[in-house]
Amino acid sequence: MELLEVKNLSKSFDKKKVLRDVNLTVSSGRIVGLLGKNGAGKTTLIKLINDLLTPTEGEIFVKGEKIGVNSKKIISYLPERTYLNKQMKVSEVIEFFEDFYDNFDPKKAKRLLKDLDLDINQKLSKMSKGMQEKVQLVLVMSRNADLYILDEPLGGVDPATREYILDTILSNFDEGASVIISTHLISDIERILDEVVFIDNGKIVLQSDADKLRNKEKSSIDEIFRRMFKC
Amino acid sequence: MLNKLLKYDLKYMIKNMSIFYILGIFFAVFTRIFFSMEQTVMVTIIGQITLGCMFSMIASILINVMMRSWVRFRDSIYKDEAYLTHTLPVTKNDIYNSKFFQTLIFFVISFVIVLIALFITYYTPERWLMLKNYVNAITTGLSFNTTLFVVSMLSVMFLEIFNAIQCGFLGIILGYKQNSNKIAYSVLFGFSAYIIAQSIVLGLTYMVGLFDGNIMDLFNNTAVLNSDGLKLLTGLAIIFYIVIIFAMNILCKKKLNDGVNIE
Repeated sequence: MELLEVKNLSKSFDKKKVLRDVNLTVSSGRIVGLLGKNGAGKTTLIKLINDLLTPTEGEIFVKGEKIGVNSKKIISYLPERTYLNKQMKVSEVIEFFEDFYDNFDPKKAKRLLKDLDLDINQKLSKMSKGMQEKVQLVLVMSRNADLYILDEPLGGVDPATREYILDTILSNFDEGASVIISTHLISDIERILDEVVFIDNGKIVLQSDADKLRNKEKSSIDEIFRRMFKC
Repeated sequence: MLNKLLKYDLKYMIKNMSIFYILGIFFAVFTRIFFSMEQTVMVTIIGQITLGCMFSMIASILINVMMRSWVRFRDSIYKDEAYLTHTLPVTKNDIYNSKFFQTLIFFVISFVIVLIALFITYYTPERWLMLKNYVNAITTGLSFNTTLFVVSMLSVMFLEIFNAIQCGFLGIILGYKQNSNKIAYSVLFGFSAYIIAQSIVLGLTYMVGLFDGNIMDLFNNTAVLNSDGLKLLTGLAIIFYIVIIFAMNILCKKKLNDGVNIE
């Protein structure tokens, strides 16, 4: 059974079609890059998988079940924006995650926060946006989930922090779990990908094993992407 | 999971409402102190100022409990926080029920705080006796049990306002199904839901009036309702509002379960 199956998925806003008949499967133990230009439909697809949007057509299955309470137990999702209640302290957010997610590891969260020099007694409203994003990443990666979905985790951060984020992602997910990373900063994540999915204009135009694609095209994923989506 | 959601919703409301409760009681106590002092011009002026502040706080409490319930509902279900709310392993029914009970609980607390503030400000044995005599005079004239009369009137008022708050929830759910002008649509749908709910109460009352002359008098002439009519009308209003609140609760949950579209 596939970890994630997306079947004939379409999404429209009024008359505008944002996703068109998308089919996608993700197996366990893979790091998948969901790659596309801005506005290609990456975030829409991710939001649909996370029940934040309602499909116009099609279905999504996680471990054979339609998305719902059970899929949310095993998906750990990092949105592209800050979404925590800013009135809360970091320690309160940890308590919140502990309350709701059985697979959340508070010790790991506290350790990662300490590594990042983030004060758990600080209110989120007193933190910069970058610090809040780091807290969110720590919380998401401190869950022992089956599927991590990270939407633009590198967006708006400096190159040094990008390295740290990628290392955090790589060293904090269980063997057997899968990661879907959405980004347009391909060169930064290329080295960690097992599989790539190219999305353009709401359609999946390519899904391939990363190494096979590199060997076939004799160039990096970044170069292939640039060639395919040249303006 | 409902209890966990409710815990965090109540915490949010405590953080936001406690300042109004504290200030309401604070100004009530000060008003009481200044009213009990020997009345000089300055003491009277200060007493009147604290009394004004106390009433401002009462108004703030009643307005804020409604507004913050709506804002909390919108923010955690449709704004940035929705990214967390809808990815928690909880059902949409639990999410709605948590907001429903949070509002209910804080509405009761606010009601009690207002009564306490008024009690602190105005209570004297003489005034209490005067109020009791006044209410007794009304209830004796209407052959109504005094306690039952007070409880019934407060219940109708409570249910009426709570119904209005839930109409706001339905308005937000329907408004945020639109792709643009979501706030404007929320207000429009909420107001429409309130008018429809009130029309249903009126329609049901009219239908009962077809079988009861006392109730029909409300629609046919300007005469004051007699004792039996008032008792029946009060009972019917309580039943109708509970049925409408229950039905709207189911409708809200159904619409929420149809799915959301978070920006």
